[in-house]
Parts: sequence; C-alpha cells; structure tokens
Amino acid sequence: MSKSPVKKRDISLMLSLALITLGLLIWGLFMIFSSSAYNGGAESADTFHYLRTQLIAEFAGIIVIMIFLTPAGKWMFEFIGSNKFRILLLMAAAVSVIMLKFFGISVNGAIRWYKIPGTSISVQPAEFVKIAVIIYLAGMVADYPILGRVGRFKGYLTLFVPPLILAGLVYVITDNLSSAIIIMGITMLMIFVTIKDIKVHAALAGIVAVLLTWYLSRVSQMEYSADIGYRTRRIMVWLNPEAHLRDGGFQPLQALYAIGSGGLTGKGIGRSIQKLGTIPEVHNDMIFSVICEETGLIGAALLILVFFAMIFVMYLIAARTVDIYGKMVVLGVMFHIAIQVSLNIMVVTGLMPNTGVGLPFISYGGSSVLFLLAELGMVFLVVKENITRHV
Amino acid sequence: MAERRKGEEHFLLNLKKLAGSHRVDPGKFSKRVNGRAGFLVTVFAVLFIILIVKVGSIMIEKGDDYKMQVLSQQQYSSTEIPYKRGAILDRNGAVLAQSEKVYKLILDSKLVLEGEKKNGNMDATITEIADKFDLDKKYLRDYINENPTDQYKVIKREVSYNEKISYEEGIKNKNKELRRSASENEGGLDKKSLINDSAVSFESYYKRVYPAGALAGDVLGYVSDSKGRYGLEGFYDDELTGRNGREYGYLTDDNALERTVISAVDGYNLVTSIDSYIQKVCEDKIRKYNEEHANEFREGEPGSENTGVIIENVNTGEIIAMASYPYYDPNNPKDLSMYDDATVSSMRAAAAEEYSLSENEAIDDAVSAELWKNFCTQQSYEPGSVGKTFTLAAGLDTGAVHDSDIYECGGHLTFGEGARAVTIHCHNRYGDGTLTVKQALEKSCNVALMKMGQKIGKEDFLKYSRNFGFGLKTNIDLEGEMVTSSLVFNERTMGTTELMTSTFGQGYNVTMIETVNAFSSIVNGGTLYKPHVVSRLEDQGGNVVKTIKPEVVRRVISEEVSKQMIEYCIGVVDEGTGTRAKPAGYRIGGKTGTAEYSGKGKVDYTVSFMGFAPADDPQIAIYVVIDRPNTSSQEYGTRYACLLCRDILNEVLPYMHVPKTEIISDEERAEQDIPDTASLYPSVSQDSVSEDEAVSGNASLSADEAGPLIERAGE
Repeated sequence: MSKSPVKKRDISLMLSLALITLGLLIWGLFMIFSSSAYNGGAESADTFHYLRTQLIAEFAGIIVIMIFLTPAGKWMFEFIGSNKFRILLLMAAAVSVIMLKFFGISVNGAIRWYKIPGTSISVQPAEFVKIAVIIYLAGMVADYPILGRVGRFKGYLTLFVPPLILAGLVYVITDNLSSAIIIMGITMLMIFVTIKDIKVHAALAGIVAVLLTWYLSRVSQMEYSADIGYRTRRIMVWLNPEAHLRDGGFQPLQALYAIGSGGLTGKGIGRSIQKLGTIPEVHNDMIFSVICEETGLIGAALLILVFFAMIFVMYLIAARTVDIYGKMVVLGVMFHIAIQVSLNIMVVTGLMPNTGVGLPFISYGGSSVLFLLAELGMVFLVVKENITRHV
Repeated sequence: MAERRKGEEHFLLNLKKLAGSHRVDPGKFSKRVNGRAGFLVTVFAVLFIILIVKVGSIMIEKGDDYKMQVLSQQQYSSTEIPYKRGAILDRNGAVLAQSEKVYKLILDSKLVLEGEKKNGNMDATITEIADKFDLDKKYLRDYINENPTDQYKVIKREVSYNEKISYEEGIKNKNKELRRSASENEGGLDKKSLINDSAVSFESYYKRVYPAGALAGDVLGYVSDSKGRYGLEGFYDDELTGRNGREYGYLTDDNALERTVISAVDGYNLVTSIDSYIQKVCEDKIRKYNEEHANEFREGEPGSENTGVIIENVNTGEIIAMASYPYYDPNNPKDLSMYDDATVSSMRAAAAEEYSLSENEAIDDAVSAELWKNFCTQQSYEPGSVGKTFTLAAGLDTGAVHDSDIYECGGHLTFGEGARAVTIHCHNRYGDGTLTVKQALEKSCNVALMKMGQKIGKEDFLKYSRNFGFGLKTNIDLEGEMVTSSLVFNERTMGTTELMTSTFGQGYNVTMIETVNAFSSIVNGGTLYKPHVVSRLEDQGGNVVKTIKPEVVRRVISEEVSKQMIEYCIGVVDEGTGTRAKPAGYRIGGKTGTAEYSGKGKVDYTVSFMGFAPADDPQIAIYVVIDRPNTSSQEYGTRYACLLCRDILNEVLPYMHVPKTEIISDEERAEQDIPDTASLYPSVSQDSVSEDEAVSGNASLSADEAGPLIERAGE
C-alpha cells in the first residue's frame, strides 16, 4: 500500500512540528543553563539547579504528549471537549484559581502557585485555565457551528463571557494581569475566526483601543509617586526606564543594554556579560535579551523565524483538519504561542511595559513548559488523526 | 453559578433549535475559519518582522552606547579589592606601623524587610546583629523602617575578622540547629527565629595601626583618608601606597563560572634604621624629664616647651632614634589624653597666643598642628654654644686657628670704633684669663671664639657654615623638613656684629637635624652624609626593592682637624662644661650649648648638649635640646640637658655593646644608683680595663635582645 501524497504531507507536518519543538526546547535549555549558571551558582552553589528542574518538567511534558497519542488519550481529548464535560472543566479551572486563596504559596508577593507537598514542584493554575478556555471554546464551536452565524452579541457573549470570568478571577486572585491578557487574547482570536460578523470584532477592538489610549495618555501626565498603583507605576517605568532605576526600571533597561550590546553576530554563546547577576531573574522573562547579547541580531531573528515556522505549521495542520473541534484546538494553541511570543519580545525590546510573560519553551518555568507541551500533545493528536484518516 | 448555568443551557437549547432551522455548511464554516486564521497568521508574521526590525534598530542605533554602558556597569558592579599600605619596620624588623584588614558592616534594609515578609524574622535578625556588634536595636529598627529600600548603610566600622567570622558562623549554626530540630520534631520550622543571613554584608578595608602607640610618632607621621601625613608616612606616601585591585565574574567558553581577579598591588614596606629600644629609651627619658620638671619655675607648664633627642650613626647618616616632646599617638593623632589638664591648657594658651585665635575649634586645630610638627626637623632655634664647635673646626681647617694658639679673655670684647663700637660680654664677666684653644672650647669662652672668628673672617666663616649644611635642607627622608635659608646670614646680611655673635652660636637659627648631622661630620673624619631614616624598601614578599645607601654630601674638614676636634670635645666632658653628660663607665666627647632669647618680656633659653660616643672611635652622635626649659636659670637648664644625655647614654651604650672603658667612681655609683659590681674584683686599677669590660659585657647582655647595633671594625 503506497502512501498518498496527502498523507505524506500530514506526516511531514507532524515531523516538522516535532523537530521545531525539540529544537526550541534544546535551544531553551542551552540558554537557561548559560544564563542561570551564574545565578544558580551564586544562590545555591548548584550551577545545574535551573537546568535540572527545567529538564524534569520537559520530560514530564513529553510523557503527556505520548499519552495523548494513545487511544486513551484520544478518548480523553474528546471527552474533555464534550458537551457535558467542558462546563465542568471551566468550573474546575475556576475552582483551581479560587482555591489559591487557601492553599497557594506566595512568590515575590503574589499568590500564583500550588506547591505539591513533599516536593519542590509548584504548579501555576493560570496555565491550566488557558488550556481549559481553549478546550471550552473549541468544544462550543464544534458542537454549535451555528454560533458563527449568530448575529451581533448573542453568540459572541456565549463564547466570550465564561473566559472573561476566568480571566477576571486570574487577575483578581493571582494579581497576574499578563495571564489574564493572554486568556482574553486567545478567546478573542478564537472568536474572531468563528463569528462571521466583522462589525462585532471591529467594535470590540475599537473599544479596547480607545480605553488603552485614554489610560496611557493619563498615565503619561501623572507625577510619579509611591502612592499610585504598582501597575500604573510599571507603565510609567516603561515610558521612562532611566528615571526609575530603583523601582523596576533596572531590569528592562538592562535587557535593552544586553540587546544593544549584542551587535549583528553577538558576543558568542556563553559570553553574555549582562547575565552575570546584572539582569535580575534573567533566565525567566528576560532570556530573549541574553539570546540577543550572545547570538546577536542573527540569532534573535532566527529564533523569531523558528517561532513563526511553528505557528505556520500549526496553521497548516489546522487548515487541513476537517474536525472542527480539532481544528479549533490547534488554532487555540497556535494563538496562545503566538500571543505569548509577541508579548514577551515586545516587553524585552521595550515596546510594552513589563508584564511577566515568559518566552514559550525557552524561558525557565516548569509549569509553563509542561502545560505548553500538553497543548502541543493535543496538536500532535490532531495530526495523528489526520494521518490515520487518509489511510 | 447554578443560575448562570441554567440560563446558559436555556440559551443552548435555543441554539440547538436555531441549528435545526439554519443548517450550517461545515465546508463553508471551515473555509471561513481557515481564512480568518490565515489572516491572523499574516498579522503575526508582520508583527514578528516588526520585532526583528526593532531588535536590529536597538542594536544599530544604541548598540555602541549600550556596549559602553554594559562595560562601564561591569566595572561598577565588580568588587574592588583594596590594596594594603606598606608597613614600617624598625632596624630589627619590629613593626612600627602596619595596615590591618578590618570590615565595614553594611545593612541591607530591603533584604531585611523581604525576610520579614517571608519569614517574619526581622526581630530575630535585628537582635542577632545588635548583640553581636554591640549596636542599638531601636536604632536599627528605626533605620530599616524609615529607609525600607536602602541597601547600603554602613552601621559599623572597624569590625575585625574574628568578629565577622563569629557572626557568620554563629547564624549559620543557629539556623542549622533550627532546621535540624524542625525536621526531628515534625513541628515545622520556627521561621521567626530563622536569622536572615543576607541582612548585613561585610566590606573589607585596611586600617592603619601603630602597635607601639606613640613610639616614634613624630618620625612615622600618621595616615588620614588613606593619605600619609608628616614623617615617613608623608615622605614615602607613594611608595607605601599600592593600587586597588578588582574582581570580575564571567563565564568561560565551556560555560564554567569563572572569576577574574586583578590583584591589588600592595605598597612597599619601609625598613628604617630606627632602633625601637633606643627610641623608647630616648622617649621615656624625655617624658620623665618633662614630668619631673613640670611646674618647676612656671606653674602649670611642663618641663619644657619642646625637648628633642636625635641619635645618628656618624659613619652613615642613619638616624637611630629621633624623639621629641610634646608627642602624639599616630593611632589617634588628635588625642591629648596623655597630657594632664594643666599641660593641655598651657599648650592651648600658647597656640592661641601664637596664632591669635579665640575659637575653641581653631585652637584645637592649632594645638594638633603644633603637636604633629616634628621638633627635630620642623622647628628652628638658636643653637647657642654648640655653634662654637663649628667655628673652631672652621678655624682649624682654614689654618686661622692652631692648636698652640693662646687666647686672652678679659670678660668682654669690644670691636668697631667710636660710636659704632660694640662690646660683647663673655658669660663669665670676670674673664676666663689665658686660654689654650682646647680650654676655650672646654670653658665655652665667647671672647676666645670671637677672636677666632675675627681671624677666620666673614667669607670663610660663611663658607664653612654652608659646608656644614646650615641654612640648607639636609634632605632627610621625613616630610616637611624646615628650610632655614632665610634664618642664617649671608654675605650681604652679615656684618661684624653678626659674625661675632655667630661664632658662639647666636643670631642665626638651625634645626636639630642640621646640627647633629654637621656634628657627625666633625667626628667621623670630616665627611658630611645625608641623614636618612629608611635603609631599604621591600615588597610584601620581603624582596628588597631599593636599598638606600649612605650618601656622601661633601667633605667638610680634614681628618686631622676631625681628630683634633674629637680631642677638644672629649676635653669638654672630661673637664669642661659638659662633665655632667658623662655616662658611667664610658668616655665621650661633646659640647654644651645655651642660647638666650628675649621676647615677650621674659628671658628664655634653649639649652642643649651635643655629644658623641665612644670617645676613641665615635660611632654615634647624640643631640639633646631642651627648648625653653621650665627652670629658673640657664645654668640649671644646661645641667639638665647634660643629665638627660647621660641618662640616655647610660642605657643606650651598653645596649649597643659599646665596651666600658672607664672606672665608675663612687660618686657616680651613689648618684646614679649603680650596683657595685666592680668591688667583686679585688684589684681594680687603670690597668684592669679588660676585667671591667668583662663585667660590663655581662651587664649589657641583659639589656640587649637584638644584637649589636654598630659592629666595630676589628671586633
């Protein structure tokens, strides 16, 4: 039995996605080690501390992918998106965020984590909320394709309100604006591809744009003082980092210094100066700046292109998927990654205030990489289904 | 929630109905989704291109600036390694000055408060810091609360290495103990007692320490703001100062964490020719003198306004001891606690009068400035009769005076004619009668010396004066040597009267170092050396960097004249004005001196004794000056200078292994409290010198710990 060209294309898409993912993970591990060895060594006398933690999370993520590729995984994938279950999933997500109030642990002043007792593993429920929202939306759209044609607001609200409530919970309880933005971003993009009426989208985008402009113009006229809220202060710091070095301007400015000092080809891998304790928490959100410093414009552009390739491959997968549920899940994951990459690089290059978004697959953070790999697991499952469909 | 769900289900039912009536074409729907997603992918593509352009523009526009910024920060964030200032050692290696590593204790309010937020351990942490470093808890707490973001507050200086280690080990053990007991009892960790180990940090620096306190303070000088002031610290500041080092961190090619250290370059050590023991003897005797004679004539004043002693090696120009009163402790240069209240107030009164000051602070500063001046090199006075030595030497060397000459002293000398005639009296107004040259010096006869001066003439007198170094700096290696060129006569300013007074040491000013150095040339065979305190510079590893060899300035008088002068000077101590200066068991030579000042309505004196030892082979010159002694008459003053010299030599000569050659008389025994060891030997006579030597040899062994100071040729 010879393979059809269609099937061949599906296989090549799957391989591409696998290669890109693996490439990003390895690149990330390199950068995490390179940028955290100094801090790891300085903090706990263990230069491999961050690398080891990240590797464990990535192995766990790959196991999750494997599980999705089993028949049980397929069943689970369909079950969680089913009409009966997805409301439950949303509620579970909401409860997981609310329970942080009682069982969460505080890191740097914000309660965002559960700690698994007896281990050093901690989990961020916001990541879980993102998956839950993707599955909810995909399931809804698959079960009620008519939603795409409901006029004006009815359909829009059906899809929009539950994620909005979840995003609100994440923002209020965990004080995590960036996750809330990402949740709403995924939601709005998924709705955008679903609902036909372009006027609704335009109106909403308009409202968001007006609010943002008004807020920024107000902030830029305010006098800086410690009394105003810290989010407003962050924006003021973003507008003028040099003036607020002691109050959060230091990290973004140092990141800019790192990028600027990289040049076309960079200082060479492992040769970053800025990572030596100058940029706080460099292995987290600011890791892109070390990539720029060490591998220059060439490395940075290459990384952005690889991310785009990943997004594009996912788009092709989605486009070739007949099953609406699968298609929407793949698009949701694609939007998630695209939004997060954009936000992170915009923050690091100073196009946006500091929000605390990691670079997918590259930044240090076990919780983040585990859930991202789980999302990819669903994409792989969809590709696998596509392949088997074309036997 | 339940309601919302109910509403939603109702709405969903409607949707199902809708779905029934309007069939959605899955193909069409799928196409729209694909199209819209494709549009969004394009939007992201554009966004990503913008991001790449943005990264590129940062690199191109700001790249150079930011590169500089990164490098300059690097310098800023790396740690500085302080250099160690060189030590100052005496000739036997005893430490006179050294730099000790101590620490600044730095409080980080921000980290303390972070600890408080996380563990609630601010109390425990503050208590620990306050207890260990003897600080006020309330002060620390208030400071942290008032400056919550401050990360660098020096809360204590001069923390020793031991204190630092004791603190660090202490909190490590306490925290370990807490964690251990927590894991044993399952009771959970007592976070509140866990001490925040990042609350304080230590920054090392060096502190200048003078282990022997005030010993040789005037010679050493002191250090303020890591800059040497006065004395050796000031003169050799460049050599003592090193260069700060730096420590940088970086990752190597194979990602290993490396620290690069550009080590600090420490300063050079100075090895001086000062002998701590001799220095101490001189200082002790000077202090004893000034204490014993305090209030003697003028109530509330010490034994003298200034007292100075210099001991110089006549054959090299090395300074073996240089001591003065008043003195200060370079560890704490402004401290006056070693003086009693009366002395302090008299010093303050003198300073206030001299600089016409009224404010307390200004007076304090003036007192300190006076104290820091080294009387031996930085102050001048009229030499008085010790100047006769140089007149006589000049006379002999020019041939104007011969050993066989006879001088007549009738109590005064008149020169000039008519109205311009000047009469100068001898201190013995009844006249010394007929004198040989030797006797003229022994009796310190002004008239005989003036007559010699008339024979020498102004030109030769000035030439010899200059050759001896008067009016010129000796260039001794101590900061701030006084320039006396304007305080001596030259061809233009010297008339007959000036020449006459100069012959017996009045009318011009000298410094002690000039005088003793000139005297050294008289007794060493006629060679003037440059006096120096430092004999070599060593690096911290003990390698010699520079040796300072004896430096001949010029030959002043001939060897014959030198021999002749030695004879005369011995005569002064044997049978002249300086008999009181003779140390028991030794024969020495010298010359007494008294200069008279009249100013401010009172008559004052500077009395001195300038000598050498031993008589047969001069090794050291000693010069004792008591400036304005607190005595009723000059005669007492001169006596005190001689006695002070005797007391010093009594201890110094045995220590230097100079053999005793003279019989100690019963008088000396009684007066100086010397045990009668000689009586153990039944037949003590002039011939039994060797036995006497053996005795003194034993005696000196006990006084000596450091070996011979001067090795005598042929020994």
